[in-house]
Amino acid sequence: MDGSFPDSKGDKTMVVKCEDVWREISNYFEGDLDPALKLAMENHFAQCTSCQSVRDGMRNVIELYGEKAMFTLPAGFHPRLRGRLSDQVEGRKISRRAWLVSVGVSGALAASAICAAALDRFGPRPLSEMSQPARRLPERLVAIVDGGKTFHVPGCPFMHGKYHMVTPEEAVREGYTPCTRCMRDALRSAGNVMPDFEGEECASSATLEE
Amino acid sequence: MQNRDQPEAEVTLAPRSDPSHEYEAALIGRIRSGESELFYQLIRPYERRVFVIAFTILRNEADAEDAAQDAFLKAFKYLAQFRSESRFSTWLIQVAINEARLRLRKSHLEIMRPIVDQENEDGTYTPRDFTDWREIPSEALERKEIRERLVEALGSLAQKYREVFVLRDVERVSIEDTALALGISTGAVKTRLLRARLMLRDLLSPGLEGIWTGHSQIPKGTKPWS
Repeated sequence: MDGSFPDSKGDKTMVVKCEDVWREISNYFEGDLDPALKLAMENHFAQCTSCQSVRDGMRNVIELYGEKAMFTLPAGFHPRLRGRLSDQVEGRKISRRAWLVSVGVSGALAASAICAAALDRFGPRPLSEMSQPARRLPERLVAIVDGGKTFHVPGCPFMHGKYHMVTPEEAVREGYTPCTRCMRDALRSAGNVMPDFEGEECASSATLEE
Repeated sequence: MQNRDQPEAEVTLAPRSDPSHEYEAALIGRIRSGESELFYQLIRPYERRVFVIAFTILRNEADAEDAAQDAFLKAFKYLAQFRSESRFSTWLIQVAINEARLRLRKSHLEIMRPIVDQENEDGTYTPRDFTDWREIPSEALERKEIRERLVEALGSLAQKYREVFVLRDVERVSIEDTALALGISTGAVKTRLLRARLMLRDLLSPGLEGIWTGHSQIPKGTKPWS
């Protein structure tokens, strides 16, 4: 149907053509039209059978395809989906548990490593890499030689040069380690007998007192 | 031609009753906290929607089911990436569209051009003029062959029109959410929706060289629902 657009400034009545209706017919169903345009389209429908046909046909399309019966899920869709998902869902639950355990173990290991590193870092570093640190300290002063690596009982034949006396704690802090000859007791832990320098059993503490 | 003499354009375009945003946000939070089995509850309202959008793109029921199921699996796997600013349903549709499009590309099905794809989106579509248009009653959908014809008509549209039409008119997704799901503007959604509705209206009308006359069991020029 032919339509025309008269000057709408005077009577404020909008007139639309078929082309305008076709362009706006979808928005008409969406309710997304200016009220004046909507009214103009409805006036147009009252006179134009072609646009009535477009309007009614489009309404029919929207209604038909919007029916739930139009598309249905295939039979067995839900159980099949649930079956596939269950592997993932249960798998995640198991893996989550495993993840928690692994995080716990990793944390413990990391803590141990940190502690060990801290002890290693903050403990005295022996001057001699081949020596063993003191397991227990003598109660008397010990003798050290500048430039030496071990602390001794004064008079020990393994000590050479001028020595001076320090507390065992100071000696350990400086990196000195017990002499394997005169400080066997310092190297001995409870219940653990260390072989002496010559390979003989020697557990006497009298050496320190000599 | 049927003349309804109805001034109003009342059709049911109201959105489906989807779960509330708050309800879904709470469910998603619990799923992320380890209650994985709640995922079934989260997706249950959208099973049909995901299948339909996959079917719209792939036009094959078996492929659509596979794509839909893969989409759900991906949604579960990547749920942590979902941002709550948008609706879960919109995000899920995006996942489904991506999955279906990916399958389409892999299967090279896109080389099968749709029947109705000659129109330029920017151009004006002129609806056909009918003198004997008659309404297809909703009761006709009870007949499988009618549903199949309607599906066939929809399948003859270009994919970009099918996607918009199915989201808006079949699944009643809002214009805004349709635009979000497809990654296009609301203006483009409206343009494609207009075109899709007009083309389907033309295809479903009698006396055309359309879907109805291409089948031997339906006499040319007659309507299968009459």
